[in-house]
Amino acid sequence: MRRYQGDASCAGPAEPAPPAGESGYTAANFTPRALAIVLGVFCVVVLAGEALAQMRSGGPSRSIVATLVAWTPLILFGPPREFGGFALNIAVSFLAMAIGTVAGLFLGIGQISLSPAVRKVSWAITQFFRNSPWLVLLFFVMLLTPFQIKIAGYTIPLPAWLKATFGLSLPVMANFAEIVRGSINSIPTSQWESAESLAFTRMQTIWRIILPQCVKRMTPPWMNWYAILTMATPLISIVGVNDAMTLTQDALAAEQRSELLMPMYGLLLVFFFVYCYPIARWTIYLERKFAVRS
Amino acid sequence: MRTSLGLVAAVLAAVAVAPTAFPAAADQLDDIKKRGTLVVGVKTDYPPWGMRDSSGAIVGMEPDMAADVAKRLGVKLELVSVVSSNRMQFLQQGKIDLMIATMSDTPERRKVVGIVDPVYYASGVAILANAKANVKSAADLKGKPVCALQGAFYNNELQSKYTGQDLVAFKGLPEAEQALLDGRCVGFVYDDVVLVWKKAQEGKKWEGFEVVQLTEWKPVPWGLAVKIDEISAPWGKFMAQTVTDWLKSGTLVALEKKWVGSNTPWLLEATAKAKQ
Repeated sequence: MRRYQGDASCAGPAEPAPPAGESGYTAANFTPRALAIVLGVFCVVVLAGEALAQMRSGGPSRSIVATLVAWTPLILFGPPREFGGFALNIAVSFLAMAIGTVAGLFLGIGQISLSPAVRKVSWAITQFFRNSPWLVLLFFVMLLTPFQIKIAGYTIPLPAWLKATFGLSLPVMANFAEIVRGSINSIPTSQWESAESLAFTRMQTIWRIILPQCVKRMTPPWMNWYAILTMATPLISIVGVNDAMTLTQDALAAEQRSELLMPMYGLLLVFFFVYCYPIARWTIYLERKFAVRS
Repeated sequence: MRTSLGLVAAVLAAVAVAPTAFPAAADQLDDIKKRGTLVVGVKTDYPPWGMRDSSGAIVGMEPDMAADVAKRLGVKLELVSVVSSNRMQFLQQGKIDLMIATMSDTPERRKVVGIVDPVYYASGVAILANAKANVKSAADLKGKPVCALQGAFYNNELQSKYTGQDLVAFKGLPEAEQALLDGRCVGFVYDDVVLVWKKAQEGKKWEGFEVVQLTEWKPVPWGLAVKIDEISAPWGKFMAQTVTDWLKSGTLVALEKKWVGSNTPWLLEATAKAKQ
């Protein structure tokens, strides 16, 4: 008799139900007041910087608030006629998530394959990318991939941000693969058996019966990984991409004022927080809504 | 399902085996003219030599030099922001035609990229000293507390020959500056060009301080660079001629005056030599 899962040793002990196991901790950390607190702390930092600037007053210098306002458009949208800044961070997060989700889906299904070879290779790939530091993966991808490729006479340039996106999608892929595997395993065996008795092929069972039931329980941890990925995107500044982090540092270099350090980085933090916090709230809401009673 | 997977695999394989090498340009100077755009790699984190203004445009002494090259060629200019870790790679890969990015000229780098002779700039070592300390040379620093930045190449010699235990090395520029203002040291030893610029820019803050060149250390030249196989080709020769022109006509002195506020002895000397 064909079972939905070959041998348990390869898949390891079943993971706890993903909704609670993967992302349960966020519920405790985020309260509705968090946004107000972060914005409040940011204001205090700006005011403290302002006071420090007043004290030093080495020359005619702009106020901290005016300086932040002047640089905000650049940090948000990048230099003129160039795509960059915080908008690039968001674009990179979307693209890396899309690549990671599609690749992770196949990798996750590969882990429950009937073929031992596919199962073992999928397992090895997942473990490798799940347990490697993101920054190291990023450097590997940057150094290993060419800056342009030629296919059938066409030259396709590979800009640094695209390579960085691919680098960030690898750990997302591996982590999503685990979510897929865990949630497939959490679907009751009877679903597989009923499908088989109705003469569904294995492929049909996975795509039309099992995975649709997994979507609900995969969504909250998937969103959680999206937020984690977005917060990791400033890493790409290290490999020479004009993201919000790089431009913030350029701004600090151009201003040459130490009292701007905290307010400038604070502003960057606020951008990310304002973007990621609603996602976290929404994740918690969905988790409660989709809670699997066990 | 199977066919689409096969297609994906085929595309991936094609990408993997696709030749990444491409023929070297026959004549880069011609290519630039044909393209109508000159792509120059400059820094955005080293004011005032290369920095961003708040609109995001790259400005500074080196971008101005790049603009002059474009003007001479009669083409448009495109500036690409580079950092120390990728500037030579960009040149090798052909992403940029020219690199003017505060790069020190070293024998190791000359093996990788084509550093154009003559060099266009140099930075030496200087001290921003309290005028009351009456510092004239490094010898005057004996037994006096001196501030510096960690990792500077001259720190070792400064400590072993002159200051002894009294060298205080800080992690960042702001910290070292603050220590100097607080009177924790008589002077701050750093790259002369940066100190000259600071003194000129923040006159009020540095009233009572003077920049004294420490001639015990020879200036390290900065070179602009082209791809290594272009150095003896028309493009490399064109750039060598351009730098010679800049020195002869006083363009660099004028640009330094505009951005840094005053002139460094090295540049004045190089200009005088070129005019002979």
